[in-house]
Amino acid sequence: MNSNIDLKELWAKQETGIPDTKDLFKRVASFKRAHLKQVIYANILLLLVAVFIVLVWYYFQPEYITTKSGIVLIILAILAYLFSYNQSIPLLLKSSYEMSSADYLQQLLSLKRKQQFLEGIMTNLYFILLSTGLFLYMIEYTMRMKLPLGIFCYGITAGWIAFNWFYIKPKTIRKQREKIDGLINKFHLLTEQLTEKK
Amino acid sequence: MDIQFEEIYTTYWQKIYRLCLAYVNDADWAKDIAQDTFITVWQQLPKFRNESGIGTWIFRIASNHCLRQVERNKRIPKSDVQTEIPDTSEPSIEDKTTFLYQCIAELAETDRLIISLELEDIKQAEIAQIVGISEANTRVRIHRIKEKLTQKFTRYEQ
Repeated sequence: MNSNIDLKELWAKQETGIPDTKDLFKRVASFKRAHLKQVIYANILLLLVAVFIVLVWYYFQPEYITTKSGIVLIILAILAYLFSYNQSIPLLLKSSYEMSSADYLQQLLSLKRKQQFLEGIMTNLYFILLSTGLFLYMIEYTMRMKLPLGIFCYGITAGWIAFNWFYIKPKTIRKQREKIDGLINKFHLLTEQLTEKK
Repeated sequence: MDIQFEEIYTTYWQKIYRLCLAYVNDADWAKDIAQDTFITVWQQLPKFRNESGIGTWIFRIASNHCLRQVERNKRIPKSDVQTEIPDTSEPSIEDKTTFLYQCIAELAETDRLIISLELEDIKQAEIAQIVGISEANTRVRIHRIKEKLTQKFTRYEQ
């Protein structure tokens, strides 16, 4: 074994220019802007959809209670989605970097578990509310149609809901789960590195 | 920006950059992590109450920013320096330095942090505090990691 290797000396040889502190503040500003943009876009888009639905209620004056409850459920679905979306971001920003690595990893694990729980529940809730809302909303308008057309319209909507329910929803949940599970797993492995050898 | 932060920034930039570089072995990525670290330092500095030394505190923040990198879907890149079949001529100091950082980046994540802190001349008691393991464990792990690195260097230089 070569005992002449001075690792500390080699280590200290690595240097780089110190970036101007202005760069740091530009970075903070661009993070904030990007984050804000993301939140604002998602909220505005979905709230516009909600407003549009309310306007439909206002102008077309539905008579059936099913239509009104349908509209309410669709709006609730949108709000549930926004709630979950707006919650998951601060949850991740809450993490504190000032603890020891072992505690920090524990904190990340618990944050990710919370996020996983929230996303799972909210995705289910979103799909249930949206499908039921749409189903109820259509009753009134379908009743005014002739039977074959009514069956056709409901058939198409039922098909669309089924597609969402059996394909899009499991896929969305699986994707979310895989991503978070992967991270939870990695954090577990990191935690093990610290506990195993104690 | 206040003078205290400027001082911290100039004193610790190289140290933090080295820690990040040894963790990811990619200069741009390391710079990003180092900058994120100093953003956190700047944001949290008014709340810092000197319970631990300022150095310990900054290294903790940097280590945790490094650990957080698993969330980025980027693989740790390998450097171009050959690991197993070296040139017949004696490698230069720069090559050796690059090789050292590459070897560290190939270790387990927490080992990368521990050895980087040790090479940065941080006391073992402080390293134990930063990482959250016992001092005895820190000592044993540093010894093992150094052994591993020295073996790699011996092969590299042969």
